[in-house]
Amino acid sequence: MTAPAEARGYANPVVAGVCLGLLLFASVLIAGRGLSASGAFATSAAAAVNAVAPKAAVARPYIASWIPTEKGGLFGDWVVLELLGVAAGAWLSARLAGRLHKGVERIAGESSRSRLLQALAGGSLMGAGARLAHGCTSGLALTGGALLATGAWLFIPVAFATAFFVAWIRGRLAMAAS
Amino acid sequence: MIAPLFDAPSGLLAIPVGVAFGATLERVGLGSARTIADQLNARDFTVLKVMFSAIVTAMLGIFWASRLGWLDLARVAMPTTDIVPQLIGAVLFGAGFALASLCPGTACVSAATGTRDGLVTIGGLFAGTLLTSLLWTELGTLAERAPAENATLATDLGISPGLVIAIITLVALIVIPLSDRIAAHRRSERPSAARVPLRLSPLAAVALALGTLAAASGKVPTGAAATQRTVADADAAADHVDALVLAQWIRDRKPQLRIIDVRAGLAADDYRIPGAVDIPLQRIPQLDAHAGETIVLYADGSGQAAQAWTLLHARGVNAVVLRDGMAAWEDNILAPRVPDPSDTAAVRRFDQTRELSAWFGGRPSHGAAATVPNQGTRRRKTC
Repeated sequence: MTAPAEARGYANPVVAGVCLGLLLFASVLIAGRGLSASGAFATSAAAAVNAVAPKAAVARPYIASWIPTEKGGLFGDWVVLELLGVAAGAWLSARLAGRLHKGVERIAGESSRSRLLQALAGGSLMGAGARLAHGCTSGLALTGGALLATGAWLFIPVAFATAFFVAWIRGRLAMAAS
Repeated sequence: MIAPLFDAPSGLLAIPVGVAFGATLERVGLGSARTIADQLNARDFTVLKVMFSAIVTAMLGIFWASRLGWLDLARVAMPTTDIVPQLIGAVLFGAGFALASLCPGTACVSAATGTRDGLVTIGGLFAGTLLTSLLWTELGTLAERAPAENATLATDLGISPGLVIAIITLVALIVIPLSDRIAAHRRSERPSAARVPLRLSPLAAVALALGTLAAASGKVPTGAAATQRTVADADAAADHVDALVLAQWIRDRKPQLRIIDVRAGLAADDYRIPGAVDIPLQRIPQLDAHAGETIVLYADGSGQAAQAWTLLHARGVNAVVLRDGMAAWEDNILAPRVPDPSDTAAVRRFDQTRELSAWFGGRPSHGAAATVPNQGTRRRKTC
């Protein structure tokens, strides 16, 4: 078990949360949209299909609806640029704090292999889930939560309850294995 | 009404927003899968605290900006609500969130700080998204049932937005301090360390004041209604609207636009004009209309919609009918006919509408009768 994030040199979560909320608010005031993340994957998946097989892309209405139409294509798309900004900001922040670390961040003594397999499976499930749910923790939970969207307030408890349950099962399995 | 400042902002503005987003997530430890794993074991409540305080801060800001007439909520992209697919999505997402101990945003943060597990999570996200997008039509009603763009807790619960805001704020102010005690207990620390003194921090006091005042601030959340009424009246002066004008209204998120599909016996996967709600003709007399709303009625042709118009008009409710109904929508938006190149006027008209049609996922058709895609709804790229 690791120490709480704050004890590991990270910022106060409530202060950081308020900053994040002010950022979301500013984004709504300026651009009329909140924060997002998973949309960038939908846009890049559609752009990839369109690049490889343009006919197949337009034949699938869902893919077609996500093909970036902005000037500059994929790199003119708001959410894609935002996510590239996220990576840049995170890198900068980690570098300034001396927290850049190459390798696998293992959790609670599991092997690197197990961690990577779970990351792959987890990523795929989240990719599918975010499409069905019309968003993820950023675009739906945070942004929709702040805008009082009904879908967001359904998503938050159900996604977190499932996550707690799966984490509990994983803990039990790990305990049984050791 | 000042904000939003831009309706179609340049993507360049997204970069500083993203940089600040990524830096904040990294600084608070959410780029570390351990922080999230500890949250899901209830040992560290960083995720809950960050999310709750961010939601409450933004929610209070948005509510008060709109209440004071500075922000036009009708021009803010609203996340979609589609209950059944959303619940399935939430379960899949939650399971993936626990396995990866990262979410899409924090996976990018983790990968940017150098982790391989963050990078692999991104790979998984791409694969899962790609597969789901390709199989979207086959998933049918599992993926899409009745997406609503404007469903809020206030409208769905039938209470004022201010009251919803007060409740959420109070819950956050109780849950956040409580989580410290649970975490301390779970970490089996000495009881004295677990006893966090109960005091009202300045931040909490501000939230409490703004939240409770919201409940007392009356029912209408926007000062927008009054100023927009004149615009709505001017637009609604005619009793018909053309498909192209309606398409522009939808694309430009015309405030207080309400599109009603009056066809009876529609199946869940039948095509509807984006944002439309199903209110069959026989239920039209019970429709409750609000001042300043632009109600657009449509059916297959003009007949049923005109009946609905008459029913509403008899009650003094103004509405407009989509000229030639779904047929016009199909011919102009979903599958605009490519004109004969020699007909220059038609070509010019086609060029003007092509972009609008593409926005709705429409595709130009060459001659033969158009087929309606049943999933042709253009998604607003919110997440």
